[in-house]
Amino acid sequence: MTRSPLTLAADPALADAMREVRAMLAACMQCGTCSASCPNAQSMDMTPRRMWRLVLLGRADTVFSSGAFWMCSNCYACTLRCPRGLPLTSAMNALKRIAGASGHPALARHGAFYRAFLDNVRRRGRVRETEMMMRYFGAAGPREALRFTPLGLRMLRRGKVRLELGAGRWDTALAPLFESAARLEGKEARP
Amino acid sequence: MKRKHYAALVVGAGIAGIRSALDLAESGLKVALIDRRPNIGGVLAQLDHQFPTDACGMCKMLPLTSRDSSSQFCMRKGLFHKNIDILLHTELAALEGDPGKFRASLRQRSTFVDATRCISCGECARVCPVHVPNEFDSGLSTRGAIYLPVPHAIPNHYVVDLDRCTRCWSCFEACPTDAIDFKYAERKDFRVVAALPDAAARTDLGAWLADQNFPLVLAEDGAAALRALEEERTALLLLDLAVADVDPEKVMRRGLELYPDLDVILVAGPGDQDRAEALIQAGARQWLARPLERTVVRWLDHHYIRTVSDVTHELEVGAVVLACGFDCYDPAQAGQLWGRGVVPGVVTALEFERMCSGTGPTGGRLVRPDGRPARNLAWLQCVGSRDPARGADYCSGICCMFAIKEARLARQADPEAQATIFAMDVRTYGKDFQRYRDEAESRDGVRFVRTRIHSIEPDPEADGVPITWMDDDGTLRREVFDLAVLATGARPPEGSDRLAEAAGIALDANGFAAAPPLQPARTSRLGVYAAGAFNEPRDIAESVIQAGAAALNAARTFKVHSPPREEQAAPAPEYRDVTREAPRMLVVLCDSCPTLRTRVDMPSLAARLGGLSSVVRVECVQGACSAPGWQAVGALAEELRPNRILIGACMPYAYVPRLRELGAQIGLDPAFMDVADIYTPTFPGTATPGTALETEVYTALAMAAVKLAGAEPSPVLGRLPVTPRALVVGGGLAGMTAAMALADMGHDVCLSEKAPRLGGMAAAHHTLLGGGDPRRVMEDLAEQVMRHPNIKVFTQSRIMLSMGRAGRFMTALATAEGPAITVEHGATIIATGGREVVPDSYGYRVHKTVLRQSELEARLADGSLDTGALGGVAMIQCVESREEPRNYCSRVCCAAALKNALTLKERNRDLPVYVFYRDIMSYGFSERFYTEARGRGVLFIRYSPADKPRVSFGQDHRPTIAAFDPVLGRELRVTVDLLALSVGLEPGDNEDLAEVFSLPTGPDGFFREAESKWRPVEFLRQGIFVCGVAHSPRNMSETIASAEAAAQKAARILAHKDVVGGRVTAQVRHSLCSLCGRCVSACAYGARRIDLERGRVEIDELLCQGCGSCAAVCPNSAGVLTGFKDEQVLSVIDAALAEPTQPTEATP
Repeated sequence: MTRSPLTLAADPALADAMREVRAMLAACMQCGTCSASCPNAQSMDMTPRRMWRLVLLGRADTVFSSGAFWMCSNCYACTLRCPRGLPLTSAMNALKRIAGASGHPALARHGAFYRAFLDNVRRRGRVRETEMMMRYFGAAGPREALRFTPLGLRMLRRGKVRLELGAGRWDTALAPLFESAARLEGKEARP
Repeated sequence: MKRKHYAALVVGAGIAGIRSALDLAESGLKVALIDRRPNIGGVLAQLDHQFPTDACGMCKMLPLTSRDSSSQFCMRKGLFHKNIDILLHTELAALEGDPGKFRASLRQRSTFVDATRCISCGECARVCPVHVPNEFDSGLSTRGAIYLPVPHAIPNHYVVDLDRCTRCWSCFEACPTDAIDFKYAERKDFRVVAALPDAAARTDLGAWLADQNFPLVLAEDGAAALRALEEERTALLLLDLAVADVDPEKVMRRGLELYPDLDVILVAGPGDQDRAEALIQAGARQWLARPLERTVVRWLDHHYIRTVSDVTHELEVGAVVLACGFDCYDPAQAGQLWGRGVVPGVVTALEFERMCSGTGPTGGRLVRPDGRPARNLAWLQCVGSRDPARGADYCSGICCMFAIKEARLARQADPEAQATIFAMDVRTYGKDFQRYRDEAESRDGVRFVRTRIHSIEPDPEADGVPITWMDDDGTLRREVFDLAVLATGARPPEGSDRLAEAAGIALDANGFAAAPPLQPARTSRLGVYAAGAFNEPRDIAESVIQAGAAALNAARTFKVHSPPREEQAAPAPEYRDVTREAPRMLVVLCDSCPTLRTRVDMPSLAARLGGLSSVVRVECVQGACSAPGWQAVGALAEELRPNRILIGACMPYAYVPRLRELGAQIGLDPAFMDVADIYTPTFPGTATPGTALETEVYTALAMAAVKLAGAEPSPVLGRLPVTPRALVVGGGLAGMTAAMALADMGHDVCLSEKAPRLGGMAAAHHTLLGGGDPRRVMEDLAEQVMRHPNIKVFTQSRIMLSMGRAGRFMTALATAEGPAITVEHGATIIATGGREVVPDSYGYRVHKTVLRQSELEARLADGSLDTGALGGVAMIQCVESREEPRNYCSRVCCAAALKNALTLKERNRDLPVYVFYRDIMSYGFSERFYTEARGRGVLFIRYSPADKPRVSFGQDHRPTIAAFDPVLGRELRVTVDLLALSVGLEPGDNEDLAEVFSLPTGPDGFFREAESKWRPVEFLRQGIFVCGVAHSPRNMSETIASAEAAAQKAARILAHKDVVGGRVTAQVRHSLCSLCGRCVSACAYGARRIDLERGRVEIDELLCQGCGSCAAVCPNSAGVLTGFKDEQVLSVIDAALAEPTQPTEATP
């Protein structure tokens, strides 16, 4: 088994956070209902079932070196269908939160797109695809930009990508929402 | 009202209820058996096939000794036993008093069809305009509001479903025998007073009720209502709360004062509903909303019919057995999750069983909803089970096996069928289940897929039922099936909360009856016992065992608590000897039913019968089945003193007890009486009136007449005096439980144990899953056994020799000190238990870091294991189990692993515990502990028998276990401090004992019972019973249940002075017998043997069940069967062919 260079066990805050996730999933019996229900399972590099298994086995490194949980779109299909009634969507979000909060670049790698998306929403009140992708490439590096170039060119040819610059009418429309969330998070003051 | 006395009341006439009732009845106790359904048989009435035989086999429960006291025909058709009174359509309403003398109130709902008149001709159902789903076919066909609940019962009467009846009176008019009774004439005695201040409402009500035949008094105010109440007896008061002049409460109180059983129905508007509710507390029946609608007529009609037709029975009973079974989970409760109602072709398991049935809606063919044959079938396990999100944190325990059975049935019905079973664990935990499953896989090609199907989603494109699942390796798969069968789990029966309240018992969190630990048949109330699946979902065999245990407890309660009652033994009837007389036959024809009278010329029929040589008189009576009709038959017999009586009537089965009574009355052996069915040929649609029909009826009678003419008196019944003592072999939990049970019932018991101490395997337990102190229980039990005055214990003893048969065995015991002892006993119980397997694999006996689960349990219990210092514990399940040569599940090992894993986690929360398993067998309510173990962080890793975990040991003897994890798709290696092996149970040394008692053993060395489902604790050899682990691996609670069931079976023999055989038995004409031995191998009951010393075939008349196989195979006609001699059979054939129908009038 390949082990990532991260030594997660050395980080007590992360270990605590992972223990919470483990507690959420403990009763899992690997029946596979979540994975067969997940509409995004095709885009994940491991199935939710396998990811839960790894969480339970304490293999946080493998979990975070995968980006599967970032693909969760919060549709709650798995949570509704889980025969054990486990809060699977919350567990997905918890993993996102842990990865985001840790600040560790390796942990946060797969979160770049997610953050670029949210950042764009916060500033523009909606998603401006071109701008969002620019920022994403800025964070993820030139190799990622190169990877997307053929797709970008194809989309440009078909008129699917527009360059929108300057202020838009929805800018800052959602800002209070984000501020309020930040306030709440600040209050909660996670360890 | 004078209360009827019974030793026990059995609630629920399914398989467990019938078993309990029969067990009690056979030991001579009177039993009342009730069921809320209009038929007996429970869910089994709908099931044609049970594994492993894929047939029914319910009749195998019928008594084998004293068998003339009960019915001897298909038990799904009906049951009769002289000690059992059956009340159908009846529920327990209240249970008061104490054990030994409970007062039970039973409410019997009327079926509105007079059973003494209904001849089941079906005219009523033909004209009924109502079509509703038929419960018997699980809704796959329809029925009318008047219908036959099951098509096969005998006698089978139509019943009215009052809630569905539109009261069109069509059936009433169509019924040829006036059997349907809606109490029309009696309505004139049901006076209704309606106090309605609103004039329009009064006018409406008057008009609506005009043709309802009720005497109706309309009162405009309270004063008028009071006057009306006082002037004449009133049955129902319809009281509007808006009457102004007198307080309605006063009117109501006065009414109830005058007539205590007056029904007060209030009419309330939105403003005074609270008042109405309050008045209901004060005695009103219910309230209706103002203004009254026309539907009040229908309501009143139903209310009236129920009130006057339903009856309440008051019984005094010694004990109560609740055998209310379970309901199948209705997948519609989860909405469209499983595609019910949106995806055609999704059926429940019960619906599938009906489809497999030859009498089912598809006649046994498997078809898709579009009519094409269904070839590709899927079974979805755990629908409504193992689903805490839907309120079922338990395994239903039966669905895996019925799914495998159904998959095999599908294959039988259509050899091209492909069956797939989707399951998380395949729980083949019962005796021989694993081999049945292996056979399904290897021989029938049933495919098992490890997954749980979460839902079935509609797809208009798909040609069938689309099912999507995720494979172990993470690929999403999709297949379209012709039929998807939902293996629906067991839920508590509907209304179990009401029943629990009526019976005063507690229910557990799942809604089943709560049972105290290690007292499987008990409920929370003393004297009330639970049988069958009512306290935990169970399969047939376990339900039958549980029913036996409940019966034993009921019998014991009756024995201990009931005041002694004068037992009047009915004197044996004396019959006069008519063998030397020429046959003088009285023929009585029942001609009350118009179907016969209008279609057959009775005088000419009588004249033709009179021409038969043995017939001296032919008479017609009205309604032989009714009391006056039967008296007329009796009077004729008294007057004529015939030596043969033939009755032409309907439903001959119903006459068996009456013939016996008549025989006692006129001193004629019932062997000289018979009833011939002359009605079935006359049913509309079966024949046209005329000579052909008349001949058919005549032939039926003539055949019976010639058979009777050649009849012989019943042989003197085989009787063997019973030695009132039981021998129990084995002093473990099973043996001691059985011994205590028998001793408490007042029987002598000899208990033989080969070890120096009592206790056996169970004494080694320290803890129990779910709590309890097994050591205490075992020590207490051993002490009670040692001190019981009726029990004689022989430790360090061995059985050397045994001979004899049910009622009287002679057995020689060798003891440690002194000479051998000879014990004379009437019944034998084998409870020799088994032992834990000592494995050779995984480094056991080499490294001390490897333990068996029992050793881990002991070390956890005595504190020698420091759980805090452990770095990890691994467990491997199914070690040397569930594969040849021990190809069976031992049931207890998964529970032991869960128990130890939970203890470890309790002591050290962070201790990693790994369980390597094949299928976790946490069947029934133990599923809860599996959920709990998972929840506490125990890691479960599945392995397949082809790729077992590999264990290696380091320098420090620490084991490292490597196994392929199917979820991760790669190998997992864990290094731990301790490795616990879950080894199974194996039988003790049963060979010697099997030889001494001539008992069969199965492929695994456990004793082979008479029949795996219906006679699980009996042997084919009568008088010997088996229980506990000697029968098959089982946990302590199950062992106790089986021991009590075996004890009940033994008590059934010991309770009587004699063992009595049956009337119809085989005999041998030794002069014709050539000793070829064919009859010996043909006998299914082992009743025949060749006595080499005397050179002849001997028959054990107690074992012989009168099936006639021997007579059929005998090449020399040396085998004969009482009542079926060759001459008789030949003359019956002659009679059948004597008068062919005239060619001119032959039916086309």
